[in-house]
Amino acid sequence: MARLIRTEKEVEGRYTEQWVVVEEDPLDRWPAGPLDVVGRPAARVDGLRRARGTARYTADVALPGMLHAAVLRSPHASARLRRLELAPALAAPGVRAAIGPADCDVFSEEAGYQGAPVAAVAAESFGQARAALALVEVEWEVGEPLLDPDEAVRRGQLIDEPDRYERGDVERGLAAADVVVEAEYRTATVLHNALETHQAVCAWEGDELTVHISTQWIWGVRKDVAKRLGLAPDKVRVVCEYMGGGFGAKNDPGDHTFVAAELARRTGRPVRCALTRREENLASGNRHATIQRLRAGARADGTLTALEGEFVMAVGWDGFVSSTAGPMKMLYACENVRTVELGAKLNTGPNDAFRAPGFVEGTFGLECLLDELAAKLDLDPLELRRRNGADADPVDGRPFSAKNLGECYRRAEPHWARRAEVRARSEGPWRRGVGLASQIWYGGGGPPSYAFVRVGSEGDATVLTAMQDIGTGTRTAMAQIAAEELGLPLERVSVSLGDSARGPYAAISAGSSTTPSMGPAVRAAAADAARQIIEIAAQRFESEERVLSLRGGRIVSEDGGAWTLEEVTGLLGDGQILGRGSRGPNPTGMRVLTFGVQVAEVAVDVETGEVRVERIAAIHDVGRVINPLGAASQVEGGIIQGIGHTLSEQRLLDPASGEALTLTLDAYKLPTIADVPEIVTELLDVPDEHLTSLGSKGLGEPPIIPTAAAIANAIRDATGADVRSLPITREEMLRALEEARERAYAL
Amino acid sequence: MSAPTLSRPASLDGLDGAGTPLAGGTDLVPLLRDGLVRAEELVDVRPLLPRGIEDGVRIGAGTTLAELERSAEVPAALAEACRLAASPQLRHMGTIGGNLLQATRCWYWRLGVPCYLHGGNRCHAREGEHREHAIFATEPCASAHPSDPAAALLALGAVLETTSRRLPLAELYRLPTDDDRRVTTLAPGELILRLELERPDASVYLKAMDRQRFGFPLVGAAAARLGGETRLALAGVAPIPWRLGSPADLDAATPLPGTAYKVELARALVRRALAAVAP
Repeated sequence: MARLIRTEKEVEGRYTEQWVVVEEDPLDRWPAGPLDVVGRPAARVDGLRRARGTARYTADVALPGMLHAAVLRSPHASARLRRLELAPALAAPGVRAAIGPADCDVFSEEAGYQGAPVAAVAAESFGQARAALALVEVEWEVGEPLLDPDEAVRRGQLIDEPDRYERGDVERGLAAADVVVEAEYRTATVLHNALETHQAVCAWEGDELTVHISTQWIWGVRKDVAKRLGLAPDKVRVVCEYMGGGFGAKNDPGDHTFVAAELARRTGRPVRCALTRREENLASGNRHATIQRLRAGARADGTLTALEGEFVMAVGWDGFVSSTAGPMKMLYACENVRTVELGAKLNTGPNDAFRAPGFVEGTFGLECLLDELAAKLDLDPLELRRRNGADADPVDGRPFSAKNLGECYRRAEPHWARRAEVRARSEGPWRRGVGLASQIWYGGGGPPSYAFVRVGSEGDATVLTAMQDIGTGTRTAMAQIAAEELGLPLERVSVSLGDSARGPYAAISAGSSTTPSMGPAVRAAAADAARQIIEIAAQRFESEERVLSLRGGRIVSEDGGAWTLEEVTGLLGDGQILGRGSRGPNPTGMRVLTFGVQVAEVAVDVETGEVRVERIAAIHDVGRVINPLGAASQVEGGIIQGIGHTLSEQRLLDPASGEALTLTLDAYKLPTIADVPEIVTELLDVPDEHLTSLGSKGLGEPPIIPTAAAIANAIRDATGADVRSLPITREEMLRALEEARERAYAL
Repeated sequence: MSAPTLSRPASLDGLDGAGTPLAGGTDLVPLLRDGLVRAEELVDVRPLLPRGIEDGVRIGAGTTLAELERSAEVPAALAEACRLAASPQLRHMGTIGGNLLQATRCWYWRLGVPCYLHGGNRCHAREGEHREHAIFATEPCASAHPSDPAAALLALGAVLETTSRRLPLAELYRLPTDDDRRVTTLAPGELILRLELERPDASVYLKAMDRQRFGFPLVGAAAARLGGETRLALAGVAPIPWRLGSPADLDAATPLPGTAYKVELARALVRRALAAVAP
């Protein structure tokens, strides 16, 4: 029965209260552990398509008569448009339309950051469009950019009101402490750099608009485009069959979609607007830099008495203040906590969500601070964390739907116990050490989300839902869930997704929510189809429904007897069995979170500052694991991206002009395969008893969260040097080593 | 900007400097794309350039980095400098002659900022972001030369044969001056044809970069010992590949605030390189 509930909806740590119509999810929970298909490693069902190049990405969409857009962007970080003359561009070869601030609300006469869109042209080829841009006559009144986040805070230039949080009494907590540590941590602005840049192809047919787009949320794009263009939502069709990565930066339509839609409307032809790699690195979102001024107090036995943090975020001209204080508020059972988050409004490109926004940065600060505290207390860092574990959400006292962090710590012990052996392998200038850090994050997903399952007379099943697979292996996981419920082998289930015209509403693929939001809906739809098959079989074979079940592609009776699925579905002829499922509610009054711990082993060349990550053991609790192979791949991807943020990636700006210097992939240094350490993935695979009929949480974000702190803590273990600023480049490592040497002399 | 034409002459005779020579194209093509080099005509010299390795010390300018890295005959410093450069794909395309002529990675220069090296009146990196930049000859341009093999070849005492002369490798390079911002002495139309090295008793190339592979040198250090003499050269420390008379020469470095760490890095690498080639 449909039920109307008022619920708290969480996406990437941001909560909103809203009404949701949900249907109860009455299915029995599957037993824990690997089942027939679910919980067993499965190669990606679309792997061959991707490898052979037959998977159609947005970049591959070429519609008849399609034009190509190019966007004119502000070359200055702070400027006002004095004059804009589009006519010369419009007269250039191949150009079919040119638009500016008067024509499309994406464009503004005031540029608050380098790369702010000002105008666009559409031409027969991208080369012609680019060439025409150079002919646009444009004059700027250039201003003085504000780039320093601390200065912005001093001037009160904030994106939002300061976000203050306090529990207990921090002064009293500090007074009660035997040891207090205090440090400033910094993280750099880093870029998503998805392989597929932001892009959309827009095509009008009468008053209907089709948007092919590289997106993490088909239905969000549909809603936003309809609203902004004044269309009924059903007049907008959004398609994303395959996607080359998003990492949080493709949650909404983005400027490029509206540029393409307007140019397509004016020309009557489909228009592609695709960002170049340079535009991607200039103006498509980023993980904002942070400055974290932190303090922790503890009694001699390690009990935390106070945590305090001021978090200054270099948000940019627009964007949101990510919850960098989150880990400090939520990870440990400390009674006295005070935080303030300040989002600086700067003349830099707007930030965007990036794989656990805020928690990656905040965990670096907090978990390094905890290790500095452990050193002062002369306590084992793992033991210090154990002693401060929280049994309920420290913020509001809610019980956790499930928390197995203690078990993660236990599973980390053998990796942590390698310390002595790893350190003993130090040789010459190479010092080796081990560090760890804990992980806390969301990842429970939520309603609404829907799926259909269709079974034809041949007995094969198709899952239909208008969700997107952003490259995480969602197609495979959904096929596994449906196959398990229908008792079919995986190869007899296909998944049709990626098109708002071909399936029902599906949730966003952000906040580690795809599997926990969509999985239960798919299972419910498959169960609905399975029920119908059993009903038909009971009639056909004069049996009772309660003794029948689906297994191994057969209908099996407890009374003996088994029939192939086709023996029943074959009766359908052209008929089909249609199952329908929806995502049930989240548990009321409970906090649904993911937890984990990573143990990093590093080698540091103390003469050259070279840091090599040699091994990372990742132990995470994300509830039931649907596909261990896909899950390991998510863990590896998160850790590799984390290593990039820790050691080599940073967006650099000219300190005077605010112009970005790292626009290409030679200057912006992503890790290569040679930088990848041995990665050991251990997932607890314990279903969350309170969360849906699956008990599964998401895994997209958890693995990137503790990596930086674990590496920095391993560096301290190896060398005694405190690295408090990311990325840990040669100069930062050499500086920290020199500081450690000076400290040693002073003693 | 229209695409340049490509001509395929039958021989190198008659190259008059009108066209821009194209060999591996791994640097030239991106520079053309970015409008940093303008050319109406590209001349495909790849099939015309001498290619191959004789006795490990006479090398055709058209030899690829991949061929050099896999050669058992070429001195270790050169093979290693090639192996640690770029990516396998680029090393299979890039020629050793072209590698010596590649442009700086200075981000200001690459983004087309009207800096000193582009003919402007100041070096934007000196006041700006310069962690990848020079520690020697930092004025008037603080760019760093990115070639790994160039440092190895300097230490190996390479002599070049061009279409018009023979010259020690060191004389291929010049620091930019107010009246001439070029960093090589190559005349228009002049092509490097061959390189000849001295055979060292021992040689080595060590490199520090921002990641394990596929990075330009923050510092590269080459050492080659020939009899009683050991020669040193550095990559990534000056607008041109840099000979170092002795480790003590590093005391005379004039780093920028953001490149001071490179002096320490160079000291460590030079110390190790000397130890590696010591008899």
